[in-house]
Amino acid sequence: MINIKSFAVRKISAFGMKYLPFADAASEAVPLSRLLRLSLFQVTVGMALVLMVGTLNRVMIVELSVPATLVGAMLALPLVFAPFRALIGFKSDNFKSALGLRRLPYIYKGTMLQFGGFAIMPFALLVLSGYGKAAQAPHWIGEVGAALAFLLVGAGVHMVQTVGLALATDLVEEEDQPKVVGLMYVSLLAGMIVSAFTYGAALEHYSPLRLIQVIQGSAVLTVVLNGLAMWKQEARDRVRGNAPRGPEPSFAQAWAKLSARPGLVRLLAIIAFGTAGFGMADVLMEPFGGQVLQMSVAETTRLTVYLALGTLVGFTMASRWMARGARPIDVAIYGALIGVPAFGLIILSAHMLSIAVLIVATLAAGFGAGLFGHGTLTTTMRSAPRDQIGLSLGAWGAVQTTSAGASIAVGGFLRDRLQSGGAGVHSAGAYIPVFFLEIGLLVLALLLAFPIFGRAASPQAQPQPAQDGFAKGNAS
Amino acid sequence: MSNDPDKVWPTGLTLREAEEVHSYLIDGTRVFGVIALIAHILVAVSTPWLG
Repeated sequence: MINIKSFAVRKISAFGMKYLPFADAASEAVPLSRLLRLSLFQVTVGMALVLMVGTLNRVMIVELSVPATLVGAMLALPLVFAPFRALIGFKSDNFKSALGLRRLPYIYKGTMLQFGGFAIMPFALLVLSGYGKAAQAPHWIGEVGAALAFLLVGAGVHMVQTVGLALATDLVEEEDQPKVVGLMYVSLLAGMIVSAFTYGAALEHYSPLRLIQVIQGSAVLTVVLNGLAMWKQEARDRVRGNAPRGPEPSFAQAWAKLSARPGLVRLLAIIAFGTAGFGMADVLMEPFGGQVLQMSVAETTRLTVYLALGTLVGFTMASRWMARGARPIDVAIYGALIGVPAFGLIILSAHMLSIAVLIVATLAAGFGAGLFGHGTLTTTMRSAPRDQIGLSLGAWGAVQTTSAGASIAVGGFLRDRLQSGGAGVHSAGAYIPVFFLEIGLLVLALLLAFPIFGRAASPQAQPQPAQDGFAKGNAS
Repeated sequence: MSNDPDKVWPTGLTLREAEEVHSYLIDGTRVFGVIALIAHILVAVSTPWLG
C-alpha cells in the first residue's frame, strides 16, 4: 500500500513538474526563448491599447454614431486607474502565498479582468448605440455597461503590465535588464502594429456581428497569450511560502522608503515631463501631415509607421549602448536631446511645406522617444531595491501612463481650440504652439536631468561584449 | 520528500498550498459567472429573447 502511494506521489510530482504552470526552480540564467515568451503579455497590452484608443474610437464615432464627447469620456476611464499601478505593484511585492508566488496571481487576475471587459464590451457598445431594441431601454444601461467594460479592460491592462514587468525584473540579473526592457518595448510596439493592421482588415466591412467576433476574439487571444507568457515563469518558493506571516508594511511606509532613495523623485519628474513631451506628437502627427502639408491618408498612415520605426531603432540602439556600458539615464537624456531639434524640424517643415523634412523629423522624434522610454524604464529597474521592484515599476507605470494620456488629451484639446479652419500654412497655427509646448516639456525634463548627467558610471554597468547577441536579435 | 506529514495525497502539495490553488479556481469561476450574467443582460436589452 505504502509503495503504491509513494510510487504515485513520485509519478504525479514528476508529471506536475512538467505540466504545472510554475518553474521548478529559479534558474541561474534565463534563456532568451523564455523571455520572449514572457514578453507575450506586452503583445496583449498593445492589442488592448490599439483596440480601445484606435479601432473602437473610430467604430464608436463613425459606425455606431455615439457622441464624440461620450466616446472621449469612455476612453479616458482606464486612465483613472493608472495611479493604482503603484498600489498593485506594492501589493504584489508583499503578496502572502502558500505557494510562494508573488507575481503570478496578479497576472492571472489582471488577465481575467481584461478578458471579462472584452467579453461584455461589444454588447455594451451595441446597447450604447441603441442597436435593436436597446433604443427603448433606459440610456444608463448602455453607458454603465460600456464604462464597466472599459474600466475592466483598463484595470486588467494596468495590472498585467505592472506585475509582468516586475516579474521580468525579478527573473534577470541587473546587467541583462536593458535587454529585457528592449524586448518588452519591442513586443509592445509589435503587438500594437500587428493588431492595428489586423483590426483594420477585420473591421473593413463593419457589421454588429463582426464587431462582436473581433472583440471577443481579442478576449480569447488575451487569455491564450497571457497564459503562454506566464507558463512556468515564476518559481514556486517553499521558503517564502512558509515564512511567518508578519504584519504587512503599509503602502505609506513602503512608499516613504522608496521615495527616500536619492534621485527617485527627480527620475519620476523627468519621466513625467519627457513622456508628455514625446506623447503629444502621437495623435497630432497624422492630422498635421494631412491638414498642413496636404498629405493623403495613405501618406499620413506611413507617417505613423515612420514614427514607430524610429522608436524601434531607438529601443535597439539603447539596448546595444547599455550592453556596452552606457548609463541608462544618459541614454534617456540623449533621447530628450534628440527630441528637441526633431520637434523644431517639424515646425520648420510647416514653414517650408516640405514632406521630406517632416519624415526626417518624424524618424528622429521616434528615435528620441525610443531612447528616452528605454533609458528611463531601465533606470527605474536598476534603482529598485529587490523587495520593492513591484512598487517602483508601479510608480513608473503610473507616472508614464498618466502623463502620456494627459498629454494626448491636452494636445488634442489645444489643437481643437486653436483650429481656425482652412488648410495649408494657415492651418499650421493650430499645431505649432503644441509642438513648441512639446519642446518646452522636453527642455524641462533636460533641465531636471542635467545635474545627474554623465556622472561616473556605476561599477555594475561594465561592458559585456559576449552577451551582445540579444540586441542584435532585436535589430533583425 | 513524500514523508513530509504536511503534504496531502495525491498532489504532494501541503494543505495550505492546495487551498490556495483552489482559491484561484473559485475566484475565476466567480468572475466568469458575473461577467456572463452582465453579458446576458446586455444582449437581452438589445435583442430580447424572453418574449
